[in-house]
Amino acid sequence: MKQPERLLILAAVLVLARPYPGAAEGKDLHLKNGNIITVTGETVKGGDLVIRGGKITGIGKNIQTPAGAAVVDLAGRWAMPGIIDSHSHIAIEGSVNEMGDLMTPEVDIRDVINPEDIYIVYALAGGVTTIHTMHGSGNPIGGRGIVLKLRWGKSAEEMIFRGAPLTIKWALGENPKRSNALGMGPSRYPRTRMGVEAAIRLEFEKTKDYLNTWAQHENRLKALKKGEPPPLPPRKDLRLEVLADILKGKYWVRCHAYQSEEMLSIMRLCDEYGLKLACFEHGLEGYRITNELVRYGVAVSSFADFWAYKWEAYNTMPHSAALMAQRGVLTALNSDDAERMRRLFHEAAKTVRFGGLSEAEALKTITINPAIILGIADRTGSLEVGKDADIAVFNRHPFDPYTVCEMTLVDGEIFFDRAGYLEARKKAEEEKKKPEEEAGKEKRS
Amino acid sequence: MRNRALKTWPAAAVWILLLAGPPQSPAEESLHRVWAVKDCKIITQSGPAIEKGTVVIRDGLIEAVGPGAAVPADAETIDGSALTVYPGLIDILNQSLLKLPELKFDQTKILTGQYTDEDKGITPGLLAFDIIDLSKAAVEKLHKYGFAAVQALPMRGLLTGQAAVFSVSGTDKNQSLLLKDNALGIGFSPANFMVYPNSLMGVVSFLRQEFSDVSYFIMRRDRWRKDMRGLARPAYVARHDLLADYAAAGKPAVFFCRNQHDIRRALELAPELKLDFFILDQGSESWRVLPELKKAGARVFCPVDFKVPASSLHSQFGKEKKEAAEKELYPKNPARLAEAGIPFAFCSVGTDDPKSFMEGVVKAVENGLPSAQALEAMTITASRFLGLDRALGTVEKGKIANLVLVEGDLLAVEPKVHYLFADGTKFDVLKAKAEAAAKPTVNVSGKWEFDIQGAGLKVTMDLVQEDTGLSGRMSTPFGAFDFTGGTVSGNQIDFETTLQVGGQSIDLYFSALVEGDRMTGSVVQGTEGSAEFTAKRIPG
Repeated sequence: MKQPERLLILAAVLVLARPYPGAAEGKDLHLKNGNIITVTGETVKGGDLVIRGGKITGIGKNIQTPAGAAVVDLAGRWAMPGIIDSHSHIAIEGSVNEMGDLMTPEVDIRDVINPEDIYIVYALAGGVTTIHTMHGSGNPIGGRGIVLKLRWGKSAEEMIFRGAPLTIKWALGENPKRSNALGMGPSRYPRTRMGVEAAIRLEFEKTKDYLNTWAQHENRLKALKKGEPPPLPPRKDLRLEVLADILKGKYWVRCHAYQSEEMLSIMRLCDEYGLKLACFEHGLEGYRITNELVRYGVAVSSFADFWAYKWEAYNTMPHSAALMAQRGVLTALNSDDAERMRRLFHEAAKTVRFGGLSEAEALKTITINPAIILGIADRTGSLEVGKDADIAVFNRHPFDPYTVCEMTLVDGEIFFDRAGYLEARKKAEEEKKKPEEEAGKEKRS
Repeated sequence: MRNRALKTWPAAAVWILLLAGPPQSPAEESLHRVWAVKDCKIITQSGPAIEKGTVVIRDGLIEAVGPGAAVPADAETIDGSALTVYPGLIDILNQSLLKLPELKFDQTKILTGQYTDEDKGITPGLLAFDIIDLSKAAVEKLHKYGFAAVQALPMRGLLTGQAAVFSVSGTDKNQSLLLKDNALGIGFSPANFMVYPNSLMGVVSFLRQEFSDVSYFIMRRDRWRKDMRGLARPAYVARHDLLADYAAAGKPAVFFCRNQHDIRRALELAPELKLDFFILDQGSESWRVLPELKKAGARVFCPVDFKVPASSLHSQFGKEKKEAAEKELYPKNPARLAEAGIPFAFCSVGTDDPKSFMEGVVKAVENGLPSAQALEAMTITASRFLGLDRALGTVEKGKIANLVLVEGDLLAVEPKVHYLFADGTKFDVLKAKAEAAAKPTVNVSGKWEFDIQGAGLKVTMDLVQEDTGLSGRMSTPFGAFDFTGGTVSGNQIDFETTLQVGGQSIDLYFSALVEGDRMTGSVVQGTEGSAEFTAKRIPG
């Protein structure tokens, strides 16, 4: 079969064959006889998982099937927590960067979620169940991100991970200072790393003034005598409102940075303003400042072996993530890419190969660690009784080079089922062949 | 890490074109005429059809309708025994009559970053009334298909401009005007330059801030007007002053929605911005969001070009799948709206001329929309949406005499319209058609150089005329494009070409009058309005 035809059939299957049969929402499931990688506890070999009402209600051996639950025989396959990608740019409509201004915290990915991005399906096929999708790195303070559960086929609203802390994307270094974008317009302040930091500082000073103006207004209102007309309120500035909320700690800062010096200086800045710096994105030089990262309590969401694609990304090595994790830095691996997203399990395996991380620690970099970074570890990131049934099932251990993801569940609902998909595809191919064959017969006769 | 590059400046932008209004044609014959159409079938749209009755028209209004309506002594009568009278059709978002101002592509802007509101697509002061061009040819073209009223609205950019509604009763816009500045256009269109907002999410944020600022402007203005003493005078902001009419659910805004996601966005945003609103469903994807539309009590402007939006999964997996959806799924959009009981009016957005508009309407009927509802969507619902239901949309006493007299069905690709009344002025459509279908008096075969004003663009056309048929090839800086299906009648030529530029197709509709080796005419491009051009024959 020619490639375009195969693609066409794939599309037909994806569009028409969802939701998968037998995956009715809220249906209870009993996954039997598999190897259950819990991540936070022991791996249960030949174990069971029970799911009721979208939550995990039982993990162990020889559990009785609850009344009414559908049984899925894992037959020795491996079940692990659904993979969490805490740095993604999929499912976004339009540009991921608002380049019209330097500081654009008011723009919100929530306004432009595209629930029909086909990469959601591809991510599910790689065992990913939760993503943090966000603004790019063109601005020192870019925009607000959103955490999504990959409930393919549902609306944008239904995909949003309710209760996940709000996030704001920052960026340092070459991208916000436009080092690699010369000739695309007037030179924009800032053009240096110190300028980027200063620009952020200036913005927060402006915000403090803004808050002050409003506080004065509130005071005047309080002191108002009877019969006096109320004073005019100041103008509402929706950009500064978000910055004010950042100052008040309502947003978790996700800061794109490569170099250790600027990571150190931005930690100082966040300390000074009392901000919640949750995570450095990429942080390729983080291995040089592990003590400082641990002391500050900031995580790093990094790559396994992707570096040297620009000047600021040279001073690192594939051992970086493992070194950070071994020194106690909360370390996660992310995709930052719709394609890499489908094989994060192999990215995690690279930390074993290069940095000598234990299998257990390596698994954490794509499950519980990104969950902690996103503030959703009470809900997902490990297989534990009471947590959401976000599960990825592999035919071999997820670190096996030949492993294939066979099934992905979000909140106990099957959103990817390889066997079901292959069957639907076969059917679609046969359906397509039928008229062709008949046409062929007619021609011959 | 990810940092998508600035959008390439679309080569298509050179097609973004301009105005320069031609001199006004003299007014049509004046009002104050009395007519009686006798023995006709009347589709009243206000009640059941009248099988045989009379319609009396006086001084621009309908004076009487009914089986027993008396023919006044001073009336000129029309024998309607072979005819059906319909309310005049309404084209609710006409683009082809607008001459949009030229957008100047200016290298120095890119170098200096000195952009204007126009560059950002923020032009709420662009009034359809100011840029409408009711040429005789355009008016006649509308009449041929039964259109007696149009609402025109500039659609380029973000805050695109304000609408105006006209009776198609002549070339004098002052005489024809029904409503001025009656709706605001809002497009989810980021700026093409490195200027805020240049992303979709930026557009949403911009709208939030803008309408928040408008409310603030109104509050400060009103407070100062109420008592100036002791209060600092607020600065005047022309843009906010214009938008003040639309704030707090004043006049309605039209959200241009390219796909189902835009519709959801508009449904969420409109109440947040406190706007009275219409949805323009440019992607024909209402059927994907029917419960949401229903819940919001939305009113939909429904185009009939049925092009599958690029965001649809149906258009991401090859031509075959896209064409199947274009054929089978998307033309059912109007029928699905009707089934769901969501009020909608048809609009001509996406079609180049009244003929392709009617083709789309017929396609909607073929795809399950009851024809009675199709007619409502171009008459009574349209008039209600415009707030003109006391004046238009039905054949009733006291309404404006906008009527179509047609032999057979009006909703057809080539309706046999005999007469059209607009504002009580009679237009003999049959006669005009006969004149237009005249034998060619020119032969345009050969090489021509077209100079399209405003675009600063010269293209070469190789034209081949065979009797009344016209085909050819247009050679542009972006490649050569063949076309067929053009027409020559009398000394007029009409043809349509589709350019493929940067992965998108751009339909251009040319219309010109030929005199010897020269021609003058206009070219219409979808929502980008139209531009004038001149052409001369290249000897050889």
